Amino acid sequence: MQSSTGMTPPLSPVLFAGFLFRPIPAVLLQPPLDAALYAIQKRHPDLFERLAGFGNPVYLIDPVDLPYAFLLKPEPRAARLLVVRDTAGQEADAVIRGPFLSLLKLLEGNIDGDSLFFSRELVIEGDTEAVVALRNAVDGAEIDIINDLLAALGPLAKPAGKAAALAGRVFKRAASDLSAVRDAMIAPALQRGEANGSALQELESRVERLSRRGRPVKHPSGPDQGEPT
Amino acid sequence: MKIKKKLELVCPAGTPASLRAAVDAGADTVYFGFRDETNARNFPGLNFSREEARDGVAYAHQRNVKIYIPINTFPEAGNPAPWHRAIDDAAHLNVDAVIIADIGLAAYAAETHPALRRHLSVQASASNPEAIRFYHEAFDIKRVVLPRVLTVPEIAALNREVPVETEVFAFGGLCVMAEGRCSLSSYATGISPNKNGACSPASHVRYVEKGNKMVSKLGDFTINEFTAEETAGYPTLCKGRFVTGGRASYLFEEPTSLNVIEILPELMAAGVSGLKIEGRQRGRAYVAKVVAAFRQAIDAAAEDRTVDVSNLLSVTEGQRQTTGVYEKTWR
Repeated sequence: MQSSTGMTPPLSPVLFAGFLFRPIPAVLLQPPLDAALYAIQKRHPDLFERLAGFGNPVYLIDPVDLPYAFLLKPEPRAARLLVVRDTAGQEADAVIRGPFLSLLKLLEGNIDGDSLFFSRELVIEGDTEAVVALRNAVDGAEIDIINDLLAALGPLAKPAGKAAALAGRVFKRAASDLSAVRDAMIAPALQRGEANGSALQELESRVERLSRRGRPVKHPSGPDQGEPT
Repeated sequence: MKIKKKLELVCPAGTPASLRAAVDAGADTVYFGFRDETNARNFPGLNFSREEARDGVAYAHQRNVKIYIPINTFPEAGNPAPWHRAIDDAAHLNVDAVIIADIGLAAYAAETHPALRRHLSVQASASNPEAIRFYHEAFDIKRVVLPRVLTVPEIAALNREVPVETEVFAFGGLCVMAEGRCSLSSYATGISPNKNGACSPASHVRYVEKGNKMVSKLGDFTINEFTAEETAGYPTLCKGRFVTGGRASYLFEEPTSLNVIEILPELMAAGVSGLKIEGRQRGRAYVAKVVAAFRQAIDAAAEDRTVDVSNLLSVTEGQRQTTGVYEKTWR
């Protein structure tokens, strides 16, 4: 299935990280991704058990703020997650598209998929049944990516955990700073928008008043004498 | 300070993880269905295997939380076995009640497992004292889940006339149709919410990006077109936006969620026993958030306190909420 991305990526550290990662070929990202998926499946062997009976759908997971996408082939106990550079021309039964962090929260069950969909942060295309089944499977699995990956590191888990916590704090701070930058950049446009909105409201009120003034008086016992002018 | 009798908080679970989230967030009761067509949320990848059900019952009972099992679709003619098996298994699992809609199934449960408490599902659409008394007298139904068609004063009047407890929907999806009798989904897809357990089944839903619009389709029908700025809703026919007289509008209902958190004192005064949170199809983040908010609000209402509960707007359909027909302002 060929998909087109019409979503605007949010301003976040992920977007900037994506710029930095862009020169890296997808093939170099595959080994660490394989290791991560292996670690998650080891801790959650029944992860894709809820997909039984829905064939073997292939999902194109498309984080709109990264220069890569992922093809998920969730065969029970032998799932594959392939990094791809381009979404165009990829064969998939369903496409799931959204900001990387939202997809991550969805994977961990920290956010409700329907709410994301209602707010339009999540776009799905293709086989809806396959998407719903996958959502229910991962939501029920109680995945905790950091802890799942740390568990695979054995004796290195403790120092790696400290490094992950530090990285988390840096990321949070960067996200907060970027949010402030975004607010500062769009503030003038918002002010102009509010001013235009007020002017429009005033115009609408004037038109309404003029319209009422021109409206014929309704006779108490008779029909309307005509349409409002 | 006198503490009033608290409303029972009845919470949804589509997976064992959601069940644990509901229990941990303060549910009095969790309801979940088996993974088949015997319940009205027969969605892909959702619901409980028998083994998961056994573990879920144990987890809840260890924490003094009750379990109800909805077996609330109508058995297929000539094939009642899956529904009978569901009743038998629920009884063997030692659940606290089954929620039933079909008269034949109610009779089977009453005759085969008389000690198994029986509630009447909203799918039975019993909304008047005569109907409710019939179910009580014929099948010893102990509680009725009321259809979402009654105002609070009407519920209060009904409660004075019926010998059973009543439970009302408190939060989540609204259904404006005669529940258990709606055929819109069957008409569009050939799959019935009342018999197959899926309204607007995902197998027949498609979302298509068209320019800057997202188009939702159910079978051959276009349900809605959302511009990039609009929030979205479920792809059900009753929440479709259709063109009549050259103008597109919501003919039945808009994508909006029910939320009664502000009228809990009125529902208590009306004699309601249970508050049902809708949403077995929702994720555990939804369950945890909504259950925690209602736990806080119910406890406060029992002590005549008001409480600033967390904002639930972000998890509502269309990101809008209403008290619906409970505070009916239309004819």
